[in-house]
Parts: sequence; C-alpha cells; structure tokens
Amino acid sequence: MNSRRFGFIAIIIIVLFSVVVSIGKVKQPPLLIVTSMLATTIAVATPLTLGALSGVFSERAGVVNIGIEGMMLTSAFFGWLGAIYMYHVFGFNNGISIVLGLIFAIITGGLMALLHAVLSITFKVDQIIGGTVINILAIGLTGFLNRQLFFGKNSFFGGSVPSSPGVLPTLHIPITEIFAPICSSEACLQGINAINRVFDQKPVAISAILLVFISHYILFNTRWGLRTRAVGEHPKAADTVGINVIKMRYANVIIGGMFAGLAGAYFTIESVPSFEPLLTNGRGFISLAAMIFGNWTPIGAWAAALVFGASQAMLINMQIFRDVIPPQWAFLQESYIVGLTPYILTMFILTGIIGKTTPPAADGVPYEK
Amino acid sequence: MKKLYFIMAMLIVASMILTACGGAASEADCAKPEVFCVGLVTDVGKVNDKSFNQSAWEGVQKSQADGVADVVQFIETADAKDYAKNIATFGDAGYDVIVTVGFNLGEATFAAGAAYPNVKFIGVDQFQAWQFSEDTADDSANVTGLGFPEDNAGFLVGALAAMMSETHKLGAVCGTDVVPPVWRFGEGYKAGAAYADGMNGTTTEVFVVYHSDVGFDKTFTDPEWGAQTAKSMMDQGADAIFGCGGLTGNGAITAAAQAGKYAIGVDADQYLTLPEAAPRMLSSAMKLITPGVAELAAAAKDGSIVPGNFLGTAGYAPFHDLDGEVSAEIKAEMEKINAGLLDGSIKTGVSPVKP
Repeated sequence: MNSRRFGFIAIIIIVLFSVVVSIGKVKQPPLLIVTSMLATTIAVATPLTLGALSGVFSERAGVVNIGIEGMMLTSAFFGWLGAIYMYHVFGFNNGISIVLGLIFAIITGGLMALLHAVLSITFKVDQIIGGTVINILAIGLTGFLNRQLFFGKNSFFGGSVPSSPGVLPTLHIPITEIFAPICSSEACLQGINAINRVFDQKPVAISAILLVFISHYILFNTRWGLRTRAVGEHPKAADTVGINVIKMRYANVIIGGMFAGLAGAYFTIESVPSFEPLLTNGRGFISLAAMIFGNWTPIGAWAAALVFGASQAMLINMQIFRDVIPPQWAFLQESYIVGLTPYILTMFILTGIIGKTTPPAADGVPYEK
Repeated sequence: MKKLYFIMAMLIVASMILTACGGAASEADCAKPEVFCVGLVTDVGKVNDKSFNQSAWEGVQKSQADGVADVVQFIETADAKDYAKNIATFGDAGYDVIVTVGFNLGEATFAAGAAYPNVKFIGVDQFQAWQFSEDTADDSANVTGLGFPEDNAGFLVGALAAMMSETHKLGAVCGTDVVPPVWRFGEGYKAGAAYADGMNGTTTEVFVVYHSDVGFDKTFTDPEWGAQTAKSMMDQGADAIFGCGGLTGNGAITAAAQAGKYAIGVDADQYLTLPEAAPRMLSSAMKLITPGVAELAAAAKDGSIVPGNFLGTAGYAPFHDLDGEVSAEIKAEMEKINAGLLDGSIKTGVSPVKP
C-alpha cells in the first residue's frame, strides 16, 4: 500500500466530513459533528476491519477466503447462543457469560475456518466454491438452529427468546484524566474531551484498531510473517527451504477465521444483544472489498474500512440535517447516492488509477508437491 | 478424488436441507369446504420478527383460538421473488383465506386475487389503489387491504416523546421512506412533536433517518445499522429514539435502551417482544394489526368481507416500567390526543404518500 493511495483515502474521508460540517454547522457545533461522525466511523468500520484482517491472513498465505461472511454470521450466532446458555442454563453472572460468549464466537470462527482449510488445502477444492459452501452452510445452520432452539413448539427455550445477558460495556479510556492537567487553555481542554468522546468505544472496536497494528507487525516484521507471505507468493520456494507450506496455510486460515469470529462477536456481543437471521447483511463481502482496496495489507485494509465507515456516518448525518441542506446540494438527500461512494471508489482503485493492486502470487492456487 | 466429491456433495446437500427447513406442509385437507383454513405469507423476514409479521401471525392464531379457523399455517418468505410462489402454495392447497403481510406483497397479492377467485385475500398494510380509479376493469373482487392510520400512531408517540424529552431533541430510525406507511410514521412523529411544542411552548428538534440506501430486502433487517444510527443521534443530544422499521428499528430501540434513553417501539407493544429494551421502553406506536386480521378473517368466514380498503385503528402502548416517570398531566394529555385523533378533531396533516 503506497502513500499515494493513503493520501487518496485521507482526502476522501476529509471531503466526506467537510460536506457534513459545512451543511450541519447551522444546527450543531462543528466539533460535535466531527466527533460524533468519527465515533460512528470507527464503530461501523469495526466488523469490516476485522473481516478484512481475516482475509489478509488467509490470502497472504495463499488461500482465497470468500467465506468471511458465513464465518461472521455463524460466530455471531454461536457467541450469542453461548452467552445465553452460560447465563440461563449454567447460571453464570452477566459479565462472565458475555466474556464466554465472546470466546465461543472466536472459537466458532476458527472452526469454520478449519472446515475451509480442510476443503481448500487438504482436498484442494476450488477455493471460491469452498467459500460459497461456507456461506450457504452458515445461513442454513444459524437459521435452522435459531428456529429449533427458540421458536419450535417443544424447543429448548420453550418458544421464546430468553433475555440475553447484555452486551460488552463501553471502555472508558482515561484520555481526559491523563492529559487535562497538561492543558492550559480552554480550547485544549475541549479538544481533549472531544478526542475522549471519539474513543469511548466498546472493547471489540478498540481491539480491532490494536489488532491492525499487531497484524502489520506480525506480517512484515517477524519470521512467522515472512513465512506466511512466502507460502502465499511462491510456495515451492518456501518448501525448498524447509517451510511446511501445508501447516503455515492451515494456521493462517484458522487465525483469519478467529478474526472473523471476533467480527461476528461485534454484532451480537457488542452492538445489539440479539440474533436475527442474516444479520451480517453482506458486511463480510464489503470487508473483502476493503482488503483489496487496501492491497492485502492490514493498515491499508483498515483505512479502506474507515472510508466505508465514514460514508455511512455521512449518510446518517445528511439525513439528520436534511432540512438545512441548500437546494443546490439537494441530491445529497438521496441517500443511495452517498451510499454508492465506497463502491465507486473500490471500482476506481481496481482499475489501477491510484497505484497498482497486486494480490499474492499464489493466492487461490492449491499447493501440490 | 471420489471421496472429495462425496464430502462436497454431502456438505451442499446438508446445507440445502438446513436452509429449506422451516415451514412444514399442513396435514389437514384444506380443499374440503367444511375445513376453514387461513394461511399467512410473511414479507422477507421471519414470523418471529418481534414486529410486523409476528403481530399478523398472532391475529391469525387468534382467529384459530376464536374458533373461526380450523387450520392455520405460515410460510416465511426468504426472497422477494418468492412472493407469488408462496401465495400460490396456499392457493393450490385450497386455503380459504390468505393473509399476506406487508406493502411489498401488494402486487403479488392482487395478481393472486385474480388467479384464485374463490380465496379471500387479506393484505396487511396494502393500499388498494384500484378502489379510487375510474376504470372498473382492474377492480378486485376478493382482495381486502388492511390499512392503518400510521401518521396517528407516529403522532401519538411523537407528542409523548416531545413532552418527555429534556434535551428537546428526538430521533427516529426507520426503514425506507419509499414505503408510504413507514414514511407516515416518521412524518406523524414530527407532527406530534410539533403539536406538543405548540401546547407547551417548547422547541423540539426531530431527527428522522431512513435506511433507504440499500435494497428492500435489507432495509428492514439491519439491526446493527439501526443501533449505529441511533447512537449517532444520541451523540448529538437526542434523548428519545423511535425505531420504526422491523429489525433495523429494533436495533435502534435496543441501542437507546442500553444508553439509558427513552426507547419507543413500533407496530406492536414492543415492551413484550423486545426484552433487551424493556426497562427503557417508553411506549410503542401501535398498529392494532392483531385484532384487525382476526376481524377480517371472521368477516371472510361469514361472507361479510368487502374488497377494497379496510382501515384499522392505531394506538400507543402502555408505559410499563416507566409508568412512574410519566406524569399524570402527560398521561391525561395523551388520552386527550388519542381521543382527538380518533374522533377527527386533531389532524396530523400528513398526506397518504410522500409528495
């Protein structure tokens, strides 16, 4: 991911924000608009970022993974189900149930990825078909179990959904407490409070940001990362120098699955404490777009996910400020026009106008000795 | 390689079986005249959506409990292109009444009305435009649209929210404004807040956001989007959130409840159907769907049903846990507004469709 593309992404985000601020400033103070939009951007980008990281690990090791959507959906279901079981059947308290639910979600993601790995690495199934199987399986499995466990006549929970133990609490990062004493002016204090509001996020959202940088370090600065990239670029060469290609691919696909599992947990353990069939709504596919947009790098994928998040924040705010939109900007009221932004950008990127997009050389090719 | 194909085949078959599970066929013979069967086809979504499909299905179940229907059954629509197919399943099985839920099924229901002239159709939330056209060639003889004054329902909760709000900022997170009933909820909400402002001399700002940026299949089924949108409104000071639009709205309601703000439901009394949000559930803008469907099903049995538009009633749900927070004056005021809307002395001023 080159600096040119980062600059392009930064400009897009700034443009999206400025449009909203210039329209909304008659109703709300600009600082409030910007912090509110940034908070929305980060939250919306969370599952996309994690999904994209899932893709980065898998594809850097040479396994195409279009099953991220299915992995997310399954993990969202089993994480939520696990939390409810722990809470109602085993009688744990709220906090422990939620944390166990989170762990369940991550394990589920790993297991779904293991299935994908078995299909695509051991049995050398076409990886697009393998991923499609995962997506279809996820829809069927979660929809079926959701109905059987909660809504059937003799179902386990007796025909209704029991109350869930709740969601992860907002993490308060003490930015104000730490930096306020250094401040001498009122403006500085306001700024710090604003930054604090942006980062008043929940644990998965915060960990997604940290994981971006951890993943970057692992992929580009460790032996493990070098080996991962080697088996994705030229597995034969890697094998010649003694790297176990099969093992590396399995491990990375499963790690990727666990990222998707965490993304699934975002939906049912962090955002809304309920499961609805198909609740991931194609976000797994959008994260694939973010991964390509970011040229198969963690930080690039994150930046791309933020563009998707920012355009959603803009969409919401354009409607909030609908009645003060000047007539010459009236087309912005049509939410689908703004909603198209990230997809049009993705197409632009893929045409190669802003730097070249290069997938790993052995991406999607099963390894045969 | 043979083993591989076997595994693949098993996986695909297993996933298809799991996907197909759900609606099972009825045992009884609905083709017999003495067996009165009522079938329900949901909009894209589930019969347990805690909102729209569920209230209609409860109406069908009520007609069974009342002894009107002998057999009741539902089919959940998984994709918008299956509407006609799902209706035909009931039509071919000889059902006497077919209830179709939602504006989106309007066209398919109208077409099925002509294809199955002996079946009575109840279209929940389906405006029957032919009743108002000069041309009688396109009249239907067996489709009754159950409509509701959504603007009244939105008006009620809008007025309530405006009276309860401390920041004088309200939010509403809705499905798509392309669907007229959803749009009327949103506009009614604004009008209700304005009415309360006029009474109390306050100035209330109302944010209404529709999830119109995606297709019909997703606009009502995106709780995460709803939650984020509600959060964004609360970041900007809103302290009451009205969620109108299936699962998307439910996400907004739940997010508002988690943040300790007032949550307002839609269609049904969502205090009962959304336990996660119950403690902060102020009220719900109710379409009284359940009695409406049951009433029309009974009318279909005794032959008194009239094709065309049937207007049900709107209301607001009890305050439940927050009853103590709502002052006696506000309660009295709400009674007065409701009575005024029912007898027509208060008008919402909302047009039937988005201009």
